[in-house]
Amino acid sequence: MLTISRDGSSRRKILLSSVLFMGLAHLLFLKQYIKGAVFALTEIVVLALSPMIVRAIAGIITLGAPKPDLPIFERDNSMFMLIDGITVLTVVFIFFLLYYISIKSALFAYKEFCLFGTFSDNRKILSEIGSKAFPIAGLSPAVLLILFLVLVPLIFSAGVAFTNYSSPANIPPNNTVDWVGLDNFKAMFGGNEAWTGALGRVAAWTLVWAAAATFTCYAGGMFMAVIMHDTKMKIAPVYRSFFILPYAVPAVVSMLVWQNMLNGSFGTVNRTLIALGWMTKDTVIPWLSDATLAKFVCVLINLWAGFPYFMLLTMGSMTAISKETYEAARIDGASRFQIFRSITLPSVLYQTMPLIIMSFTHNINNFGAIFFLTGGNPVVADSVTTSAKGTDILVTWIYNLTINLQKYNYAAVLAVCIFVVLAPFAIFNFRRTRSFKEGEL
Amino acid sequence: MAEIKIESRKTLSYDNAVQKLKRRLFKTFIILFLSLVSLLVLYPLIYAVSAAFSPGRSISATSIVPFGNGVTTEHFVRLFSETNYLLWFRNTLLIAVGTSVSTVFVCSLAAYVFSRFRFVFKKTMMLALLVLQIFPSFIGMIAIYVILLRIKGLDSLWGMVLIYLAGNIPYNTWLVKSYIDSIPRAFDEAARIDGASHARTFFSVILPQASPIITFLSIVSFTGPWMEFIFSKLILRSNENQTLALGLFSFVTDKKNEYTLFCAGALIVAIPFVIFFVITQKILVTSLAGAGVKE
Repeated sequence: MLTISRDGSSRRKILLSSVLFMGLAHLLFLKQYIKGAVFALTEIVVLALSPMIVRAIAGIITLGAPKPDLPIFERDNSMFMLIDGITVLTVVFIFFLLYYISIKSALFAYKEFCLFGTFSDNRKILSEIGSKAFPIAGLSPAVLLILFLVLVPLIFSAGVAFTNYSSPANIPPNNTVDWVGLDNFKAMFGGNEAWTGALGRVAAWTLVWAAAATFTCYAGGMFMAVIMHDTKMKIAPVYRSFFILPYAVPAVVSMLVWQNMLNGSFGTVNRTLIALGWMTKDTVIPWLSDATLAKFVCVLINLWAGFPYFMLLTMGSMTAISKETYEAARIDGASRFQIFRSITLPSVLYQTMPLIIMSFTHNINNFGAIFFLTGGNPVVADSVTTSAKGTDILVTWIYNLTINLQKYNYAAVLAVCIFVVLAPFAIFNFRRTRSFKEGEL
Repeated sequence: MAEIKIESRKTLSYDNAVQKLKRRLFKTFIILFLSLVSLLVLYPLIYAVSAAFSPGRSISATSIVPFGNGVTTEHFVRLFSETNYLLWFRNTLLIAVGTSVSTVFVCSLAAYVFSRFRFVFKKTMMLALLVLQIFPSFIGMIAIYVILLRIKGLDSLWGMVLIYLAGNIPYNTWLVKSYIDSIPRAFDEAARIDGASHARTFFSVILPQASPIITFLSIVSFTGPWMEFIFSKLILRSNENQTLALGLFSFVTDKKNEYTLFCAGALIVAIPFVIFFVITQKILVTSLAGAGVKE
């Protein structure tokens, strides 16, 4: 019974036994005792823990029952149940991946047996394990950290979008949270006038902001780089050192300085303009307190802070264009503008394309530029209910919803929106990478 | 014949003069323009420096001419005597060093494996890294809060290191992997043939070869935590665990209006950063371009 034939007819036997119990085929037929024992042990551990796994999965389905008569710390905590459930599901998912790998490994070993007629002996397997140990050990810290501190939180966030986790009635540990299906999405997308209006306004401004911020910084940075490159003056490095200062100063600092300087009544800018006689105390410019003007100011100040990065970037990629190309163009009588349009621009654009897209996604998430400059202000009509103010973008709104209003469910809906908007960009960037194109992966 | 020659020389020198004049005009124009931009760039920074040294507390007390109200160092004295500035600085430094060291270790190892080994689900994992890196990690902040609560990492510096490390693994791994891809495989194959183990090949062949991107990564992950705000605010509650960003921000919130104190504190952090960036601008140019060119 425990023998297998070389002609491939025992494939079913191998497949069945390896599906039946992890590592069974290795132990019974393939004489790979170490590998088989490790696989079998994994399954035994998981089986031993199965009551806990089942409880966690049941918890994620019910999210706990309200038990108002118990003291607070003995009541069901829905959020703990949700996160435990997701963590356990992740572990179960990894277990099934291992199961899949074990079946593959058994079939592969059988194929080798059919070809050579002998089992690879355990010593060879040991050395094989040795060479596999390094990649596994090297990858596992990164993979584990990502799984449990990046992926689990993201899934949790997405999950919260389908619950009523919000102040005042559903905040654990006092109360439990329940699944509500698509209710939050319905409220955000048309069900509730104030929230829908705020979402439309904030989403539109986020997109405009990201596009404008990326474009201005890129164009400004490239312009400065080309000018610095063209002049070849001895003094150029001095200017360059000035220009990278905004990049060097941490954004929190520079944005808070700007916020104070642009303050309507006692900011340095307006006081200077008054002293110059260009306006009076009653006609000061409301830099950050007029919703429309504040948006322009955000983009402008972001240009101040962001152009150095793209300047450095363009300078770097311009060094990759050969001097001969420029020389040839000049001999052919091309003007500065022609050289820029037909040589510098296409080459730099081509090289920096992925970074432009990355910068766009970065700006959609650019919390610091908005939060420290305007704090989302000024207040507009629906700000009291929704906590979305005039210059708030999606991420700063999420922050307000979480910290101030404790409307975690709506914050989660916004997070899902960001995912839907951004994922295509990431995949697009991935498809452009060299390793993807060359089919290395 | 002779006449024509003279004539052409004349026009030539005339042309030259025009060209020269044009070039000089252009140069002056460029210098004027660059000076104007420099002025705009330096404008808020000069005022911030001047505020750090000027008497008074809020911005309304500062002069509209830089250093116009005289110079005082009282804010720096107050920073060290009345506030916990040194403690904040120490905490932030610890977090930054921890993040930098652990990031370089975890990400470069993972990048090496991704670059040189073949294994199941490799493509899926790479794509997952790329999709995950677009999310700011604070989207999952409630979950991270609960997880840290579970592993007793709330209000602790190592909890912060863990978050900063994990949140940036996707992007950083991808960055280093692209660079290692460009190192010829001949190097590590030679080492392997000479009998070096994978670990040894990694530490003594790959890491030195990848030193530009490793330097870049350690700098970026060191500077990042200095001014991170959201997670510090969420996780660090007790007074002895505050960071610089939290402390400085608390100077300019609505309750307090200590703009000059804020500027003094910010100046102390910003100066090393600025010196560092100005010195390393050449490396930055090549590393940034490298990040773009490689893919």
